[in-house]
Amino acid sequence: MRRRLTPYLFLLPFFIPFLVFYVASILYAVYLSLFVQHGLRPPIYVGIQNYLRVLSDANFGSSLLTILKFGVIQIPLMLLIALLLALYLDGLKSAGWRAFLSGSYFLPYAMPSVIGGLLWGYLYSKGISPFDQVLSGLGLKLNFLGSRGLLWSLGNIITWTWTGYNMVILYAALRSVPAEVYEAARIDGATSGQVVRYIKLPMVAPALLLAALFSVIGTLQIFAEPFVLQSLTYVPTDLTPNLYIYVTAFNYGNFNYAAALAVSLSVITFIFSLAMLWLQSWQRRRW
Amino acid sequence: MRRFPSALASLVALLVAVYFLIPLIWLVMSTAKSTGQLFSDFGLWFSWPLHWNLSWAGMVAFEHGVVGRWFLNAVLYSGVVALLSTLISAMAGYAFSHFQFPLKGLLNLLVLGSVLIPFTALVLPIFLILHALGLLNTYLAVILPSLVSPLGVYLMALFWEQSFPMDLRDAAYMDGAGEWTVFARIGLPLVRNGLVTVALFSFVGTWNNFFLPLVVLSKGSLYPITLGLAVWNSTVQAGSSVNYPAILMGALVSVLPLILAFFWLQRYWQAGLTVGAIK
Amino acid sequence: MKIPLPARLLAVPTLLLASAALAQTPAFPAYSGPPVTLTFWSWVPGIDKTVAAFEKVYPKIHIKWSNVGSGSAEYTKLLTALKAGTGAPDVAQVEYDFLPDFINYGGLVNLTKYGMSKYKSLFVPWTWGQVSPQGSAVYAIPQDTGPFALNYRADIFKKYGLAVPKTWAQFAADAAKLKRESGGKIYFSDFFSTYAPWVMGLAWADGGRFWTHSGHTWTQSLNNAAAKRVMSFWGKLVKAGEVATLPDFTSELNSALAKGQVALLVQAAWGPGSLASTLGSVSAGDWRAAPLPQWTAGGHFASGNWGGSSDVVTIQSKHKQAAAIFALWINAAPTAVALNWQNGGLFPADRAGLSLPALHDPHQNPSKFFGGQNIAQIYAQASRGVPVNFVWAPWFLYANNSFNRYAAAAVSGKMGWAASLDAWQNDVLSYAKGQGYQVKGN
Repeated sequence: MRRRLTPYLFLLPFFIPFLVFYVASILYAVYLSLFVQHGLRPPIYVGIQNYLRVLSDANFGSSLLTILKFGVIQIPLMLLIALLLALYLDGLKSAGWRAFLSGSYFLPYAMPSVIGGLLWGYLYSKGISPFDQVLSGLGLKLNFLGSRGLLWSLGNIITWTWTGYNMVILYAALRSVPAEVYEAARIDGATSGQVVRYIKLPMVAPALLLAALFSVIGTLQIFAEPFVLQSLTYVPTDLTPNLYIYVTAFNYGNFNYAAALAVSLSVITFIFSLAMLWLQSWQRRRW
Repeated sequence: MRRFPSALASLVALLVAVYFLIPLIWLVMSTAKSTGQLFSDFGLWFSWPLHWNLSWAGMVAFEHGVVGRWFLNAVLYSGVVALLSTLISAMAGYAFSHFQFPLKGLLNLLVLGSVLIPFTALVLPIFLILHALGLLNTYLAVILPSLVSPLGVYLMALFWEQSFPMDLRDAAYMDGAGEWTVFARIGLPLVRNGLVTVALFSFVGTWNNFFLPLVVLSKGSLYPITLGLAVWNSTVQAGSSVNYPAILMGALVSVLPLILAFFWLQRYWQAGLTVGAIK
Repeated sequence: MKIPLPARLLAVPTLLLASAALAQTPAFPAYSGPPVTLTFWSWVPGIDKTVAAFEKVYPKIHIKWSNVGSGSAEYTKLLTALKAGTGAPDVAQVEYDFLPDFINYGGLVNLTKYGMSKYKSLFVPWTWGQVSPQGSAVYAIPQDTGPFALNYRADIFKKYGLAVPKTWAQFAADAAKLKRESGGKIYFSDFFSTYAPWVMGLAWADGGRFWTHSGHTWTQSLNNAAAKRVMSFWGKLVKAGEVATLPDFTSELNSALAKGQVALLVQAAWGPGSLASTLGSVSAGDWRAAPLPQWTAGGHFASGNWGGSSDVVTIQSKHKQAAAIFALWINAAPTAVALNWQNGGLFPADRAGLSLPALHDPHQNPSKFFGGQNIAQIYAQASRGVPVNFVWAPWFLYANNSFNRYAAAAVSGKMGWAASLDAWQNDVLSYAKGQGYQVKGN
């Protein structure tokens, strides 16, 4: 009897807050999304009306579209850089040099995203930015935070923050290749290009997909960076889905509709994740 | 065996490193400037004389030293969360790795599935439920939701599997040790690496979390330093009291503990990412 | 006989001073309750000095002031705290434009219960209309106003031989001349594309009305003729490269101002104070103020208003009487009005305050920063030129954000300047309908 209860007792301290803050909070959000409330007056039940509004919400749609366009360019680029860096580090002999490089690459991950956003925000601001100082010295006028430059600038912040993190994951996958495999390839007369193409890349492919999965999830959730950039420039409130949800809830005080948006975003994120996992299992079978 | 990288590759690798370091370098240099120098002098070099003392004083003077309070709040949030969340993750991971029980598959799936739901997607629901519980604007509003770390449970289960063989546990049972003794006295020391790794990530995750405190706190005295700085920055931008170096000093103070922790505990974060990535 | 303009202006403060001396100094309510501590949110620079003065007069009321961000940053916090049922301050600063949102939300205390309606006569009439939109309940105490005037760099004007524009046509001519003469290095002015109330304030001066309502039925006209005239006018200057589009309250604009790259700003009355505190010693003494240009010369002088705030008491306050007294005193007591002007550049909504000697002291900021010019006099004239009836909708929080998107489209050339107002009107109209308001476009 005691033995049978034991695992549940060990699980309890985790599952109580888990049930409250993950499961119950989502259910509660779903419940609230079925109502409309004006100010602090009593809520009115409206069924799925809020979800119908989500479907035709141009702001939410444009935020998803923006983030999609953003991810299609930023994620592959970031993963490519991370992969090249990991391959380079893997080929290095000097441990000290490698430690310095990997430490530098990984450093941004240790910085809070809001501080990273803040620092880059300053590095983009006219008058303070050393880049702007150099560029305007050369007679070039680039507005990093203008309506055309903003998304690229945001892409740079995200890439700066997460490339090192992804590089560490890929590097670990490369390290897990047994030395004998390389030895065998060398004896067979493989060139280093062939080693990369036929041994290293297939070996990191699962890790690469995992990194892609987390990048997609992360991209759908971008919030802190554009939020802090708001104090430096004009950031459209529908730039990212989370920014729009935040503004709807806390700026317009429309918590019920924001709950419907948040539930919709969770569903979209979940579908993306499942699709990526399916892709991963399909790819595993192929290799 | 493997070819030496060419000098060109080394140069590119170095330039990439500089790119990743530039914001930090700029930060260190800028905190040594006056506001005037920040606008007039070249950004990526020092301006003499160095004014670190002035920006430090400006930071300390801001609203009667509230930055210090924000820093301590951040230490409190991150410290308590790291400690408790690691313990409950270790317990749950132990249950998943060392016990067979009905519902195990379902619960495991629930935990793994929730790894795919990002925390930020939950912030609004969490705000609403904290509101229902009457916990908004309390220390608990930040701490309680942060305790839940599905990834931590997953990592701990892996560490338990690797480091605490079933035979060893059964031998302990033979000696008459109770369940808690087996877990705490014999098991925990064996998964020390896992504990440090999970604690490190949970500390960093809480320190860096911005969205949650932003929505659940509106009392300035409860802010962690990241939120405090973001609010301070937005008021600075409004032109009321422009003391950029002071706020930048705050930013430097907020990032240093983490950078030091990462360098000090380097092998643990590498281990954490590695375990997660390969399995 | 026509009195020359400068002479007329000089005559004004003397008259005001005389009438102020005649007016009864208001008796502020006494506080007889137990000692209390109130929390107060405000982003007015140096408001702590006014708070300290209040605590001297009312030793039993202690104030904890904090700056939780300006404008929408504060509103977000306030709304969240109201929703949460905890965390809202006793007293908070709210701009007039956003009051209807908070009144409608149900977060503000009707101050008539605490005897505040009898102080109506202390305040400039249009400001009372803003805090008491239905005419009976009073939801805030007016703090300051933001009538428009020009703030310009006299040194740049002199160097390039520019005349201070009295009409918008002259304004455009000056802008073209400066671009020519300076080789495009200096912008004549700046279009604040991220502040709907700035554009709306300029239209306000020209008789533009954005909302009207009878009972619960609203009419919205964000694309009214006056607003279109304002947008088209600025659009031409922006397209010609004569006017910049640097967002207000950013380091980008501050840096351009510090470098002398912008010659003139169309600024509300609280602008000079923030200019003085932002720029510090840079370009101090070079600035001057002048009345807002008119569309037709020689007619009735009109100005618009941008911002200006009030102080509200929230429903979460446990000491509403003390909070109401505090809100009243810091905005109407002569000591407070003087301190607010000198430290925060707040141009009073308090009638008697307009003629306070401290306001007209050339040796104090912001006037000191303006080379000792009596800028309060310029703004007092502007204040009297603001049309009285002007209504904001309770969905202004949305309208305000939405404006930015269409203004950005106009600035980047994706949309026509006047047409962007039509798009704005449609977007906000469908939002308001979605929120369940009875509203039609016009």
